[in-house]
Amino acid sequence: MIDVKDLHKSFGNNEVLCGITEHIDKGEKVVIIGPSGSGKSTFLRCLNMLETPTSGSILFKGTSLTDPKTDINMLRRKMGMVFQHFNLFNNLNIMDNMTLAPVSLKLMTKEQAQEEAVRLLKRVNLEDKAQAYPSQLSGGQKQRIAIVRALAMHPEVMLFDEPTSALDPEMVGEVLEVMKQLADEGMTMVVVTHEMGFAREVGSRVLFMDGGKIAEEGTPQEIFGHPKNLRTQDFLSKVL
Amino acid sequence: MEKIQHNFYQSFIEGGRWQMYLKGVGVTLEIAVFALIIGIVLGILVALVRTSSDQRRPGTHNAPLSVLNVICKIYVTVIRGTPVMVQLLIMYSVIFMQSRNSIGVAVLTFGINSGAYVSEIIRSGIMSVDPGQMEAARSLGLGYRQAMQHVVIPQAIKNILPALGNELITLLKDTSIVTVIGVRDLTKAAQLIQGKTYQALFPYFGIAAIYLVLVMIIAKLIGNLERRMRASDRR
Repeated sequence: MIDVKDLHKSFGNNEVLCGITEHIDKGEKVVIIGPSGSGKSTFLRCLNMLETPTSGSILFKGTSLTDPKTDINMLRRKMGMVFQHFNLFNNLNIMDNMTLAPVSLKLMTKEQAQEEAVRLLKRVNLEDKAQAYPSQLSGGQKQRIAIVRALAMHPEVMLFDEPTSALDPEMVGEVLEVMKQLADEGMTMVVVTHEMGFAREVGSRVLFMDGGKIAEEGTPQEIFGHPKNLRTQDFLSKVL
Repeated sequence: MEKIQHNFYQSFIEGGRWQMYLKGVGVTLEIAVFALIIGIVLGILVALVRTSSDQRRPGTHNAPLSVLNVICKIYVTVIRGTPVMVQLLIMYSVIFMQSRNSIGVAVLTFGINSGAYVSEIIRSGIMSVDPGQMEAARSLGLGYRQAMQHVVIPQAIKNILPALGNELITLLKDTSIVTVIGVRDLTKAAQLIQGKTYQALFPYFGIAAIYLVLVMIIAKLIGNLERRMRASDRR
């Protein structure tokens, strides 16, 4: 579904991604772990072109994202993204947050979009918050809404950029629960996270990134049970 | 005591002089309001050119936008770098030397002047919105324009209201400079009356009080607007 070939990204003279080649299949739950500064988030943000790669290519269902002629907005509709800091639209209430994109892109009428939004809000038990503004919600509530806001576009893949890192510890569980549900339904997911428990339980494949490269990859059993790479062993001994 | 009363009578009442102040207020407000409208329209256009040029994806080229961006930069630099009084004299005595419509020239000059400041205020407002808001909108498939229109600009406007109010207040007071091209605004009214009565105290303190009241009314209106726009911030 997503094909990444020799991806490089530099910020000025600082090379953050040094040649990443990776293939992600439909239905896979790829979890990316690694120390901070290893390029995990940058890699994820390149997948929907929030960062423009310096070189290399990314294909999404056969269409090149890096080709300047590609209409990136059309492809982003099919790639949901969840951010560390939620990024709910502060000027809109929850209902408008959820219906803005489907309605203004003319994918649904306002009524259809609202119906869909209510259905999605029920799914995360927040239907009573439809008229609330983001500033009135807790972090966990905001992140659950950010997830269903992305789902309202019916994406084929969901990208999660450290979705629980900005949350109070007691709220991490409710967000991971929603993500697990989503995984069980067969959604293709790419997750950058520090939640090793989630990686082990939900991930179908784990990538360990270090210094802008994928240092090791494998099933959760392989990575957490018998890491081969020294850096992986070192990292895991510190976080587990 | 009697002298003061007489001075007051001469400055405000004799010969219906209060009407001159009233007309002056009208002209001052007329110039300020129309200049502000021109200023805001110009300011939005310049700010949009400047920010969309700054936020362009690296590596992409857009020649018309680059040219516009350079023009906007020059405009802001020249207007902010020269005194508004000099601009007014140039407009009145050089560019529109044929025109007798001095109020029109004043409106245009202050509008162009204000546009440069308003554009920087709007730009700061757009830049003050968390980049994550734009990213989230784009990640849902919205285009740059749609994201600006529905998400970024509404938040930017809320952030810049105090600064924009400040600009309006400054503009209103700066219009007193139009006396140099003979426009009969509020300040000119006081000057004319002083010329006739040889009384300076009451006319000048009088118009100072009028400017103060006008500014207080504007400040109050902006305060109300701000409070209404903060609705989404309730906790």
